[in-house]
Amino acid sequence: MRNTWLVIRREYIERVRAKSFLISTLLIPAFIYAVTVLPTQLATRKASSKLHLAIATSNARTGEAIANQLRSVTSGNKYQVDVKTADDPQLRANLRSQVESGAIDGYLWLTDDAISQGKVEYAASSTSDFVQIGELHSAVNTGVTRARLAERGVSPDDAEKMLKRVDVDTVEIKGGQEKKGPGEGKFFAGFAVAMMLYFMLIFHGMAVMRSVLEEKTSRVMEVMLSSVNAKDLMAGKIIGVGAVGLTQTAIWVILGLAGSSPMFAASKNLREIIASSSGLLIWLPVYFVLGFLLYSGLYAALGAAVNSDQEAQQLQFFVTMPLIIPIVIMTMIIRQPDSTASFWLSMVPFFSPILMTIRIAMHTPPVWQIALSVAILLVTMYLILSITSRIYRVGILMYGKRPTLPEIVRWLKYA
Amino acid sequence: MINTLELRSVTKRYDKFLAVDNLSINIEKGSVFGLLGPNGAGKTSTIRMMMGITMPDSGEVIVFNEPFRRDHLNRIGYLPEERGLYKKMKITDQLVFLAELKGVPRAEAARRARAWCDRLELGDWVEKKVEELSKGMQQKIQFAAAILHDPEFLILDEPFAGLDPANADVLKDVLLEQQKAGKTILFSTHRMDQVEKLCDSICLVDHGRSVLQGELREVKSRFGRNHIQIEYEGDGEFLKTSPLVKTFHNFGNYTEAELAQGADPQEILKAMTARARVNRFELAEPTLEKIFIDTVNQKNSRPQNA
Repeated sequence: MRNTWLVIRREYIERVRAKSFLISTLLIPAFIYAVTVLPTQLATRKASSKLHLAIATSNARTGEAIANQLRSVTSGNKYQVDVKTADDPQLRANLRSQVESGAIDGYLWLTDDAISQGKVEYAASSTSDFVQIGELHSAVNTGVTRARLAERGVSPDDAEKMLKRVDVDTVEIKGGQEKKGPGEGKFFAGFAVAMMLYFMLIFHGMAVMRSVLEEKTSRVMEVMLSSVNAKDLMAGKIIGVGAVGLTQTAIWVILGLAGSSPMFAASKNLREIIASSSGLLIWLPVYFVLGFLLYSGLYAALGAAVNSDQEAQQLQFFVTMPLIIPIVIMTMIIRQPDSTASFWLSMVPFFSPILMTIRIAMHTPPVWQIALSVAILLVTMYLILSITSRIYRVGILMYGKRPTLPEIVRWLKYA
Repeated sequence: MINTLELRSVTKRYDKFLAVDNLSINIEKGSVFGLLGPNGAGKTSTIRMMMGITMPDSGEVIVFNEPFRRDHLNRIGYLPEERGLYKKMKITDQLVFLAELKGVPRAEAARRARAWCDRLELGDWVEKKVEELSKGMQQKIQFAAAILHDPEFLILDEPFAGLDPANADVLKDVLLEQQKAGKTILFSTHRMDQVEKLCDSICLVDHGRSVLQGELREVKSRFGRNHIQIEYEGDGEFLKTSPLVKTFHNFGNYTEAELAQGADPQEILKAMTARARVNRFELAEPTLEKIFIDTVNQKNSRPQNA
C-alpha cells in the first residue's frame, strides 16, 4: 500500500513537472478546437466576399425580385446584380465570355422556359462555395414564388406576409419541465465531449504504455521489483498517470469555464450542455475514470509485452481500435441517442465511456441504463485488469524478441 | 551457525528451458559469498528468486532463517546485473525514492543519500539528472541505491563491471567495511581475481546446477598443490603437447598448468629453461580462474543427453 502510494507520487510529480505536461495541456484543447470548431467557422466565414452576378431572364419582374432578394442578403456574401433580358440570342455567349474574362463572377439563366421546367442554371468560374449556392437557391425560389404570386394578382404586401419565415424553436420536455433546447450547439458540444474523452483515453493510456516501456528499456524495472511487487507497481503507475489526466481535465474545465479566449470557444458549447444536463458533471468523471482504468490496463500490458517503441507502434492499433469505433458511430448516437442501436452499442464496455457520455449529454437516459453500463464496465475492467496484470508481471522481465500471441496466452498461466 | 540465506533444492523452469536445476546453497551470516558461473548458467535466475522477483517451481527459499516473505526485502540490498535508473530523475530524488520504497523515512533517506554521494565522490552531481552522468557514475548511483537502506544482506550482480580500477577500489573498501559491520554479501562475477581476494565461500553453477561449492580455501585445497605457475619470456606453447602436463592455460608470458599424474615439476622447469627465460616458477594450488575454466569445460565436453 505504502509502496503503491510512493509509485503514484513519483509518477505524478515527475509528470506534472515535465515540460510536456504544460505543452499537452495547451495543445490538446487547441487541437480539438482546430478539428471541431475551426472548420465550420472557416467555412461559414469565407463568405464575406463581393460577388458580381448577372441574371438573364425573359421576365424583368421575376429578375428584379430575385435580384432584390440577393441584394438583401445580410449575412454572408455581398451581391451586385445586373438584370438582363434574354431576348438577345448572343446574350448567353456574351455572359460566358464575361465570366471568363472576370468581368462578372457568374450568371443565372432563368428564362420562363427554364422556370417552368423547374430547373434554372447558375454558371460561374467556381461553384463550390456551398454557402453561396445556398443563398442563390433560396433567393431564386423566393423570387420566383413572389413573381408567380404577383402574376396571380397578389399584392406585394400580401406576398410579403405569405412568405414570412417561421422559425422553429426547440423545446425539450423533461420531468414535467420545459427547457429551451440548445439545438445545434448541443450537437457540437456532444461532439466536443466525445473528442475530449477520446483524446484523454488515448493520450493517458499511451502515457501508461510508454512509462512501462521506459522502465523496461532502461532496466530500472529490476530495481523496482526488488522492492515493489508487479501488481503494486502497475497499480501505482496507472493511478499516477490517471491523476495527471484528472489534473489536466480540471485545468481545462477551470480555464474553459472562466476563460473567454478563442481557444476555449468550444467551452461555450460545453457550458450550454452542462447547464442543460447536470448529470454530465457527475458521470463524465465516472466514465473517464472507468474507461481509463480499462484502457490503461491494456496499454500497460502492451508496454510490458514489447521491447521498443517500434514494436509498441505495430501493436497499439489493436488497443486503439475499440476507441476509434465510438468516434466513427458518434454522429448516429448524437442524432438518435435513445434508439435501440444506441442503447446496445452504449452497453458495450469498450464503447460505453464515450457513447454513454454522449447519450447523457444529449438526453439523459433512464438511470437503470446508466447503472447497467457502469456495472458492465466495472466487471469488464476487473477481468481485463486481472488478465493484463498477469501479462504485465511476466512481460516486464522478458527481453528479446517480440512475443507472439500464443506466447502471451502462455504467460497467463505462469503468474 | 546462522545462515542469512538458504536455497533448498530450488528449481526454475521457463517454458522448456531449465534455468535452475535442484540448486542448494547456504550463505553464512557475515560471510562474503561468490556466485560464479559462465554466461547463461542461471546466476541471474537464482538471484531473482532470492529477491522474490520470480518464484521457484519447486524448492524453498529461506531468508534470515524464515521462509521468504516480501517484507524481508527491506533488509536486502540488490544491485541487478542489468543496471537501470530513471533517466529523467534527479540523483537525490531517485535515491530518496528508492530508499523510501525500502521503508526508510523521507528525511532520513535524504540525509543518507547526501552522505553516500559524498562518500562515492558524487557530491557535485546530486542535482543532475541521471542521463547527464557517465556510465561509471550511474554505476555508483546504482550501488548507493542498493545500500542506502542499510541492508543486512547485499546481493550484488557483477558489482565491479564497468568500474575503473580507482572506483573499483572505493567499492571494494565499502564492501569490506560492510563485512566488518557484520553484513552478509553475495556477489556474482566473472572476475576471479576479485573472488579470490574477497570471498569466503563460493558456488560455481553451470547449466543451472551447482558444480563446485564450499569454502574457498577448502575448494582450492581439493585440487591440491599440483599446479605450476610460470612467468616467462619466450616460447611456452610446447607445454600444450607435453606428456607432463594434464591441462594448460597460456596467457603469452604467464602460464598455468596442471601436472599429469606422477610428473616431476623439475622436468618441466628444465624443458622450460631450454626454450625460454623463466622469471618465476611456482608449485601452487590452482587459481580460481583455472578451476573455473577447467570445471566448466569438463562439464561441457560431457555429451548432453536429452
